[in-house]
Amino acid sequence: MRTSEIFRSSVVALSLNKIRTFLTMLGVIIGVFAVVALVSVVKGFENYITDQFNSLGSNLIWVMPGMVSFEQGGGEPSFANNKLDSKHVELIERYASDIYSEISSVVRVPKTIKYKTKTYTATLTGGTERMYEILNVQLDLGRFFSKAEVDSKARVLILGSLVTEELFPTKNPIGEKVKIDGISFTVIGTAKPWGPNFDDRVFIPDTTIKSSLGVDRYTGIIVRVKDDEDMEDASRKIKLAVLRDLKEDDFTVMSQKDILSSVNSILNVLSVGLAAIAGISLFVGGIGIMNIMLVSVTERTREIGLRKALGATSKDILIQFLTESILIGFLGGALGLILAWIGTLIASSWIRAEIPWWSVLLGFGFSVVVGVVFGTYPAMSASKKDPIESLRYE
Amino acid sequence: MASLMKVINVSKIYDLGSEVITALNNVNIEIYKGEFISIIGKSGSGKSTLMHILGLLDTPTSGEIILNGQNTKGMKEKELAKIRNKEIGFVFQSFNLLQRTTTLDNVMLPLKYSDIPSYMWRKKGLDMLKMMGLENRLHNKSNELSGGQKQRVAIARALINDPSIILADEPTGNLDSKTGDEIIELFSDLHKQGRTVVIVTHNEEIADLAQRKIIIKDGEVIEQ
Repeated sequence: MRTSEIFRSSVVALSLNKIRTFLTMLGVIIGVFAVVALVSVVKGFENYITDQFNSLGSNLIWVMPGMVSFEQGGGEPSFANNKLDSKHVELIERYASDIYSEISSVVRVPKTIKYKTKTYTATLTGGTERMYEILNVQLDLGRFFSKAEVDSKARVLILGSLVTEELFPTKNPIGEKVKIDGISFTVIGTAKPWGPNFDDRVFIPDTTIKSSLGVDRYTGIIVRVKDDEDMEDASRKIKLAVLRDLKEDDFTVMSQKDILSSVNSILNVLSVGLAAIAGISLFVGGIGIMNIMLVSVTERTREIGLRKALGATSKDILIQFLTESILIGFLGGALGLILAWIGTLIASSWIRAEIPWWSVLLGFGFSVVVGVVFGTYPAMSASKKDPIESLRYE
Repeated sequence: MASLMKVINVSKIYDLGSEVITALNNVNIEIYKGEFISIIGKSGSGKSTLMHILGLLDTPTSGEIILNGQNTKGMKEKELAKIRNKEIGFVFQSFNLLQRTTTLDNVMLPLKYSDIPSYMWRKKGLDMLKMMGLENRLHNKSNELSGGQKQRVAIARALINDPSIILADEPTGNLDSKTGDEIIELFSDLHKQGRTVVIVTHNEEIADLAQRKIIIKDGEVIEQ
């Protein structure tokens, strides 16, 4: 029997029971959709994190409290036992002065900001006058705080774009007074939209955040390394500087590259893990295919006998039934991919989700393999049927 | 007349473990080209087993089948399938048409397993259905046809590869007497056109219409 005719016969056989065929495909559709959509969403998170880091520039080094590691068994920033303070900024300034262009402490704390009757919970970010340059903050209105304002612990702040939208939807906020913990602060600038991780921030001198709001420990120290400096060498020098006061376990020095590769490796493991879990539904889909194909073989016993009487060989019968199950897997895979593509388009409204080519190959390949593996036994049982017994089958 | 098929010392024995059943015992038949033969016998006499062996759907326990001078003994499944496709046309009591498939597709089915190029299938199918008077039923599904029409489609299907022999197993068994007579007349016409027709039946009247009658009893040919 010709390949085109086998294909045509299989399409006809499947179309005779459209609903049953669709329900059989459903397991594969859901399986492929789950695998590809999950991978694309994880990829979206990866893109989001990479974008955020890239927007900061590639030559940043963070000093964080505690032993921080993204590897298995590693720790998180230890804010409970945080020993970082202004002394360590000074140590870096003194002993690693040749490697950096900018340095700033960073203090982050969530606080509710009030303007008349409106309130907004923002991430208060304290730093030095150099912070806006290090973090690439682009001003929309006004100005950033000066060294004099940092030194004098001035109660001034710069609003992120989301905070500005919420508190001052129509009004120019420059010069207006807002309240944090009942203390009045003057708005001296607003930032341009920058990204979901930064737009809800309010920038304030680190000295002010300590004196006025009682937050006395740094969340970290950010150092922008000179363009021609080697990042590994810079990390080593910063570490040696801080080690003059703290023990190795008290802090961690990480470059942007270190953080990105660690985060990406975690996301890759997550991606493979989620895809494997979703793959179980493909396996279940395969069992569905086998079940329905066995029913189909029984239902079409007389047809098998007739085809053999009219000249079909066992191989012809095997290929025909196998083609039907592969077609179910193939179509299920294709529909699953289309759904995953639509899902990714929808998810793209929130994160830069994308479907990696390997997940398409994986999902589609698996769906076809499922069709082959789970269709082989029914096809073999069909091909082995005795033509006389089959023709007599009631 | 030239010999078409020789059945030489054919026996078929089923060993069921607890008992051994001899369905055919040392059967010898010769069928000539252009003959119209009826094989008659009571239920369980072995006539269906004989037809399956004549149609190469079953292999004898002992003995040989010679078709067009070619001994089929020891042939592989692929060779037997090719002979069934090319040389033998089957007509069954229960028509055995593919469900919810058009008349034309049913008739073309044997062509799909043949060497005939696909561009000729439709024309051959149309010609056959026209010959059976079913040219206005081309696209009807098998479940939309009457019993007589179904059997005509089955006969068209049996004839489409221009086989050497037509084997019909109780072809009127599922038809009313009037339609049954029409079908037997159709077989008679095919015989007149020079085709070799073998009908298996338990109906004496139908058997008497054939040119030669082979009577089978308890697995043995008692008259031919």
